[in-house]
Amino acid sequence: MHKTWIVTFETYLRQIKSWSFLFMILGPFLMIGLTIGISYISANSASSSREVAVISESQPLRQAFIKQNDGLNTKITTVKAAKAALKKDHLAGYLVLSTVNQQFKADYHGSDSMGSSLRAQTQNFLATNQQAANYQQANLSAKQRQALARTPALTQHIAKKAGAANIAKKVSFWLLVTMIYIILITYSSIAAQEIASEKGTKIMEIIFSSTTATSYFIGKITGILLVILTQIVVYLLGGWAGYQFAINSTKLKPLITEYHSLINAVIHNLVNVNLVYLLLGVVIYTVLAAYSGAIVAKAEDASKAAQPVVMLGMLGFFLTFPFQSNLDAVFVKIMSYVPFFSSYFMPMRIINGTASGLEQGLSLAILLAAIGLFAWYIGSQYQRLMLQTDSKSIWQQWLHGWRHQD
Amino acid sequence: MLSIQHISKHFGTVHALNDVSFDVPDGQILGLIGQNGAGKSTTFHSILNFITYDGTITWQGHPLSANDFDTIGYLPEERSLMPKLTIEQQVVYLARLKGQSAKETRAHIDEWLQRFAVKGTRKSRIKDLSKGNQQKVQLICTLIHHPKLLILDEPFSGLDPVNADLLKQAVLTARDEGAAIIFSSHDMEHVTALCDQLVMLRKGDVVLHGTLTEVRNQFGKTELYVTTDWTPDRLQALPGVAAVTVRQPRQYLLQLNDPAAGPAIFEALTEGHYIEEFSQQPPTLDEIFRLKVGEDHA
Repeated sequence: MHKTWIVTFETYLRQIKSWSFLFMILGPFLMIGLTIGISYISANSASSSREVAVISESQPLRQAFIKQNDGLNTKITTVKAAKAALKKDHLAGYLVLSTVNQQFKADYHGSDSMGSSLRAQTQNFLATNQQAANYQQANLSAKQRQALARTPALTQHIAKKAGAANIAKKVSFWLLVTMIYIILITYSSIAAQEIASEKGTKIMEIIFSSTTATSYFIGKITGILLVILTQIVVYLLGGWAGYQFAINSTKLKPLITEYHSLINAVIHNLVNVNLVYLLLGVVIYTVLAAYSGAIVAKAEDASKAAQPVVMLGMLGFFLTFPFQSNLDAVFVKIMSYVPFFSSYFMPMRIINGTASGLEQGLSLAILLAAIGLFAWYIGSQYQRLMLQTDSKSIWQQWLHGWRHQD
Repeated sequence: MLSIQHISKHFGTVHALNDVSFDVPDGQILGLIGQNGAGKSTTFHSILNFITYDGTITWQGHPLSANDFDTIGYLPEERSLMPKLTIEQQVVYLARLKGQSAKETRAHIDEWLQRFAVKGTRKSRIKDLSKGNQQKVQLICTLIHHPKLLILDEPFSGLDPVNADLLKQAVLTARDEGAAIIFSSHDMEHVTALCDQLVMLRKGDVVLHGTLTEVRNQFGKTELYVTTDWTPDRLQALPGVAAVTVRQPRQYLLQLNDPAAGPAIFEALTEGHYIEEFSQQPPTLDEIFRLKVGEDHA
């Protein structure tokens, strides 16, 4: 056990100290940071040139418009100044508000057409003011005004709870399946290459004269799993930090508040037994990837080693697509018990609420048994596989392995 | 003591080892010689349980198991280390796998680097070292945990005479500490200098086994080294002389048909007077090796 931990520690350290791991971990954070940074700089530099100035001979009218609308340039008050600013591209345009013969008018001058939001707000402002002026001029009674203000009603009745739950399910499904897929593909390659790069090297002879092949194999797999856990923990911490930033940010807080129930539902769907499926799925694929790495003909073929595992992971991923709206299909039920596929399909059923506790337990037991059996078999073959340098095909290796359990 | 009794190994129809038996007592060195493909590495792999075999191999009276791994030092035929690691990281990792703590190993690394005259520091990366220095680091990895059973597959290959001497000293020190040592070599000079006993394999069969003296004496004292003013023709005419080889001016090697011819030749050469050199010896190990290999080709 002690030597297994030495191998685990060595494998773990070697992986996390590599540049590729650092880039892989920090990549998403850098990308998000870069996107936010660029958006911020772009928004700041563009904000002044996207503003619209409001000009009017009637100061109460101008002030009323400015009060009702955000993002306007309030400093420019004359047409001359507005024209100059527009010429220098410091303004997107200017709006001249006026009243001619009891009619409210707005003239927009700009290098491009008016934004749809500002146009709607302007029309709304003009309509409200025109209506008030019309009522005043018509000298209507309060009752008549009330009658004229009456508008037809269109009301939508949506079962909000069910709708939100459905969205939560879809978001959870996509998040989970994508997470499983990305982690499997990434670490299958790492595991296969880590093992294949040692294939046939004499250092394996030294190592196998120091510890058993099974102990070494388990140490390697555990080391790689620790690297995966490190990545998941870093992402969870990063996600938590991002969430904290969002709820304390004045710009993002309304968004978070609006989708609070959805976010909670998604977190609930992800941080439950599905996380166990994610981890066990990663374990079985990592073990298979290690085996793939061990049966390549020589260390130089390390890059090819992960291909069969990656293909299997992709097959599982793409098989889920046709069934995301048909989770009661028999095929989904069958696949939710088949190792290598159950990590995709059972979480789908759990999210949908169509898998009982017994079914989940049975699927987990099959997955655990498959991992145990698989690890035992590979452990028993590992020394032979790692020390040989012949060029048998993968199938010949499998057959040889089953025929000669030595 | 390492005891190998009647081990055989077949790879398909190829007999890699055929009823091989020998012992390596503690504090002794056994040299395993033979041509390429004779079965030397297969013997080592059998000892280390890398392959299955028929027969019995015991270490200190019991079959070698994982519990004995810490007492083994193994140097494989081809050198292989982890190129990205520093010398210290590499040596500490392999020593930890042999049960020696990192602290203990770190405390002695500099001493070992000095002992093997490695050009580099403990912080040097393996990939930055020359081939020879990498080989010396691998030897340090093999020896630093003071193994009780030392298995060295072609340890002298690629070493210059100075470094070969450093290795010889290290092997002799391990022997003096009581280790049982088995090593293979194609260089009979090293085998002659180090071994208490030797085993020669030919196509998986043991064709020679014994101490150096025993093995050489099996072939009789058929070589006579003399220094004389006699001409080669005159020497060739002596009774029992099969061939004469000139080593240096006045120095000859006479091949005898029969070792018993020695005294008569001595009488004829000296005629009761002083002679600078008259030494009757068995063939050298190198000659015996060639002879045995030649038997196979005959």
